[in-house]
Amino acid sequence: MGSYILKRLGQSLFTVVIVVISVFMLLRLMPTTGYFTREDYVNLDETARTAYLRNLGVLDNPVVQFGRFMGGLAKGDLGRSISIYPRTPVTAVIAEKAPYSIYFGLVSIVLSMAVGLGLGVSMARHKDGFADGAGTVYVTIVRAIPSLIWLFLIQQWVSGVMGWPMVFYSDRPVSWILPLVSFSLSGIAWYAIWLRRFMVDEENRDYVKFATSKGLSKKRVMRSHVLRNALVPLVQYFPQQILLTIAGSLLIESIYSIPGMGGLLVNAIRQQDNPLVQALVLLYAVLGVLGVFLGDLLMVFVDPRIKLEGSSGKAA
Amino acid sequence: MSGATKAPAPGAAAPALLEARDLSISFSLRGRRLNAVRGASLSLRAGETLAVVGESGSGKSVLAKSFLGMLDKNGRVDSGSILFGGEDLARYTKERQWLALRGKRIAMIFQDPMTALNPLKTVGEQIRESAALHRGLDRKASRLAVLETLDRVGISDPEGRYRQYPHEFSGGMRQRAVIAAAVACRPEVLICDEPTTALDVTVQAQILDLIKSLQRDFGMGVLFITHDLGVVAKVADRVAVMYAGQVIEEGLVREVFYDPRCPYTWALLASLPQLGVKGEELYSIKGTPPSLFKQIKGDAFAPRNPRALLVDYEEEPPVFDVSPTHRAKTWLLDPRAPRVEAPDTIERLRARLAAGSGGTGGRP
Repeated sequence: MGSYILKRLGQSLFTVVIVVISVFMLLRLMPTTGYFTREDYVNLDETARTAYLRNLGVLDNPVVQFGRFMGGLAKGDLGRSISIYPRTPVTAVIAEKAPYSIYFGLVSIVLSMAVGLGLGVSMARHKDGFADGAGTVYVTIVRAIPSLIWLFLIQQWVSGVMGWPMVFYSDRPVSWILPLVSFSLSGIAWYAIWLRRFMVDEENRDYVKFATSKGLSKKRVMRSHVLRNALVPLVQYFPQQILLTIAGSLLIESIYSIPGMGGLLVNAIRQQDNPLVQALVLLYAVLGVLGVFLGDLLMVFVDPRIKLEGSSGKAA
Repeated sequence: MSGATKAPAPGAAAPALLEARDLSISFSLRGRRLNAVRGASLSLRAGETLAVVGESGSGKSVLAKSFLGMLDKNGRVDSGSILFGGEDLARYTKERQWLALRGKRIAMIFQDPMTALNPLKTVGEQIRESAALHRGLDRKASRLAVLETLDRVGISDPEGRYRQYPHEFSGGMRQRAVIAAAVACRPEVLICDEPTTALDVTVQAQILDLIKSLQRDFGMGVLFITHDLGVVAKVADRVAVMYAGQVIEEGLVREVFYDPRCPYTWALLASLPQLGVKGEELYSIKGTPPSLFKQIKGDAFAPRNPRALLVDYEEEPPVFDVSPTHRAKTWLLDPRAPRVEAPDTIERLRARLAAGSGGTGGRP
């Protein structure tokens, strides 16, 4: 198992490097005018502009620039933001914003799992019954209607009815409720529909019939055979979902004015804030790849049939 | 068997342990009713093996599942009774009633051992589940009981095997594990639904021997569903032949194999490859079984029976006793019926019996 983990880590590292280099080089293909605000560009003359660009370091050979980026990275320095938070270290920007996204993300994962898995179980147990029908309606609405529409409805209508604030205040917990609910709605739908589907699949398997013939009650068969087996294919996605909460949500964070990570990457790209883009891409790539890797590892522990290459058979 | 009236016993010997009387089961499929079992009767006694044979769709598996209350959701018992331990299981309506029975007094083994075990649970745990449940043993005691049972069904190194997962077992070993789970609570009735069909021939023989020896030790009544007449000859004491949802002939293996009375049983035996004559084309039954969606008039086998009588198309035949242990559902046994000779193959079988190859058939 050790050698397999090393091999997978190597592959993961390779993936991250490719992603980072590609994004880095693509940014250097952008026209240099993007580094100026419209105003600056008009006000500065040619020499001042060149001096500014030279100062940023973007006129050097891209390979040299990449070397500099890697050198900084080795020392934990990801550079300073250019245009979004001028001259602020990128790490400080992320350190300030990430907690909001992580907090909302993690709480909403817990909420989605609790409600979504519960809903999925009752949909499967009462297949074709009321719970199943109601659950299907909910899932269909959440997945078929563009989220922008129901997110706005929740913000406008529910906040009006309940008398809750329409935007996020870090010191007023009541203002956290609607963003959390908004964060969780699609997660609930995701867990419910997949768990239902996997449970219904499992219910029709022969081992369920055999377990029933052994005299186990339906409840017990559902819990100790069906549910357990149906969770296996979902487990793989847990690490990824948890790690990527840091990316936040563009839509929800912007409608509730949450100072999270949501729109950061998009804005950084639009304003050609190279160090910020590079840092975020690096971060998301590492977490994404790590999430997949941990998901695969987790599978070994929940499914005894899966053996990692090179394992001695004691993996499970 | 307190309240039950005396059975119209095919064999008067011992009282029936499990008895289906005039049982009808139907399924609703897209608004239509499929009559899978149409008034079938059979009885199983303690310590004996009754083989139920018939082609696919003859209702043998459905019949067996109804004994455990495990019909699919769209199926129901329309009429008739299932008598077991003084109760009529056909009247059971609640899951709780079945739970007192399933696995504890009536257990079942399924066809495919590759899929009958949960792939994500250790084999030992899956056997322990029922042992702990029905015998009220704690974790440690039930574990010991499982190890003992594993040993009894011929699984060596029970300790090590207990902790293994189904995928670490071969097909034959899995079927042994399934059998262990089924007999862990010493059921009175063991239903085997084609337990060897998915196994290769050498393993088949071992599993059949195992079932026989367990039956001898525990005195279980074994209901053995199969379409393999070779298996019947090897394991069964008695045979019930099913066609189109009815038991058309029931008797000792010797009686049904060497003195079959129903045209369908003739046809079934005549199509055995072992009875063919080298160089001649093997007999096969023409046509297909009737659709069970429709009301069947007369003898269900009549349209495929080249020697069918006119009455076969009009009236359903009653059941006639051939001997105290042998009964058949055919008009040919009516005193008014013309004499119809069994086909040559059947005559050859009789001749072979007369020549004294003996026993309950062995391998023909």
